[in-house]
Amino acid sequence: MFLIFKRLWQVNWAEQWQYRANLLMYLLYWLVSPIIYLAVWTSIATANGDVNGFTANDFVTYYMVLLICDQVTSNIVIHTFGYKIQDGSLSGELIRPIHPMLTNALVNNVAFKILTMIGLTPIWIILFFLFKPDFSSVTLTGILLAIPAMMLAFLIGYFQSAAITALAFWTTRVYSIHEFYFALILLFSGQFVPLPLMPQLIQDIAQYLPFQLLLYYPIQLILGNLSTEQIIHGYMMTGVWLVISWSIFNWVWRKGVKKYSAVGA
Amino acid sequence: MTPTISVQQLSKTYEVPEREGGFGAAVRSFFKRKYKDVKAVQEVNFNIEQGEVVGFLGPNGAGKTTTLKMLSGLLHPTSGNANVLGFTPWELKNDYLRSMTLVMGQRNRLSWDIPAADSFLLNQAIYRIPDDEYKETYKELDELLELEPLMKKPVRNLSLGERMKCEIAVGLLHRPKVLFLDEPTIGLDITGQARIREFLQEYNKRTGATIILTSHYMADVTALCERIIIIHHGQLKYDGGINDLSKKIAPFKLIGVLMENADAHDLSKYGEPVENMEDADKKFIQVKADEVTRITSRLLADLPIRDITIADPPIEDVIEQAFNQ
Repeated sequence: MFLIFKRLWQVNWAEQWQYRANLLMYLLYWLVSPIIYLAVWTSIATANGDVNGFTANDFVTYYMVLLICDQVTSNIVIHTFGYKIQDGSLSGELIRPIHPMLTNALVNNVAFKILTMIGLTPIWIILFFLFKPDFSSVTLTGILLAIPAMMLAFLIGYFQSAAITALAFWTTRVYSIHEFYFALILLFSGQFVPLPLMPQLIQDIAQYLPFQLLLYYPIQLILGNLSTEQIIHGYMMTGVWLVISWSIFNWVWRKGVKKYSAVGA
Repeated sequence: MTPTISVQQLSKTYEVPEREGGFGAAVRSFFKRKYKDVKAVQEVNFNIEQGEVVGFLGPNGAGKTTTLKMLSGLLHPTSGNANVLGFTPWELKNDYLRSMTLVMGQRNRLSWDIPAADSFLLNQAIYRIPDDEYKETYKELDELLELEPLMKKPVRNLSLGERMKCEIAVGLLHRPKVLFLDEPTIGLDITGQARIREFLQEYNKRTGATIILTSHYMADVTALCERIIIIHHGQLKYDGGINDLSKKIAPFKLIGVLMENADAHDLSKYGEPVENMEDADKKFIQVKADEVTRITSRLLADLPIRDITIADPPIEDVIEQAFNQ
């Protein structure tokens, strides 16, 4: 199994590398909105002194960490897999003795991520010198706690996106469904606004949704803003959502493959 | 001994959405879709023993590929049963997938953007082929197909024939016991076709693998297969030896001539005139194969001929003639 992943990695890395210019464009597009939120919130906080207790430095550190967390926990499976179901090119992968979504597509996403991370590094450094954030609250423990949390959150997001992608077995409108899902992430993950600035009701709802696990939770872990109780709650939510997301994906996928082979692959 | 492949009453009906063109029809179909049942394969039965090379012959849309997809596990049948190597194909068990191969089209197992060598190594891992066995198989395949010069180029830069060779080779790395080949020579020139045929013959001899291939080239199946299965309009029309088939299909050739002032000459005394839409400049007659030489020389002697062609009639016509009377 290790060899399969190693070889999949070599192939996917080489493929992604071929499209590096493309990938850089994608990264820039991806970075526009968080950087705008960063700039807007920082200038508001600077003008007012603070926003509901959030200082300018709070916003800068929050969004600087968000840029990294976003790269780690997001995925592009809808773009790299959806068309295969629609144009039938999935057939070739379906009769290989490995799961297409849990091997090849997964590795493909990771290869993509590592390349965008490399692209992000210089941009992040420039932003660092522009905004001069004070990262004194960041601890090694926080980072070490955040790494597994982010990896598990990536899997949660991946299974959810993969489940939506698998809807392509039934409908050609998966892209708009995924856009809606993406809007939920924007609202409840803490990307648009850090969650504590949201109305209390939304904060209460967000606590039990998976989306805050993608950004808000790991950001706060890294910044050292969580109590032990909150850290445990976060990890428990991660476990629960991982199981739920996996089960949903597995169910949709099985039904989908059956449907695919019923109507003509 | 149980047969390697056994098929009973296998049927596949597609539900195809249909609507007229135009805006009104598009709106109506949004609310109520109409479906038409297309019977792609109807109650087909056959058994294939280990080591046989069987050709599925039939025009486009006859049901060949659908049958192949069911046998490889990509399609669920509407009814009926199939058993290959003791497995029910559409359960897609990994043990089954590791013991068969399906080669379909030019772009299947090879990644487009990277050299074929990388895709080969990936498949070695996927099919869990031990290194020494992999090297040995690769060496054999290289001997037969001359792969080495192609391995380092990105697949997108290979020609159609080169890509087909690589597709077939990569599909055989795990030494499958059963090979399903869908139109393995399509789009290739004559030399390319011949090379693939020779290879398959040799492979079958060396490994004793069971091979089913579809084609709409008569030459493919006559060169390779001792047994032919003809599927037409989804039904099994013929299952037997190639020699018996030639007796059943009257061997005709199509002679096409290009002449000055063509309408002034009557060709019906030489053979049966045939309308040919593709080549409207020429006039065509159908003659018995063993009379081709005699009639051709008469044509050349009698008429002001500028160009002459002799060809096999299209397989569609041959099957139509043989089985639709």
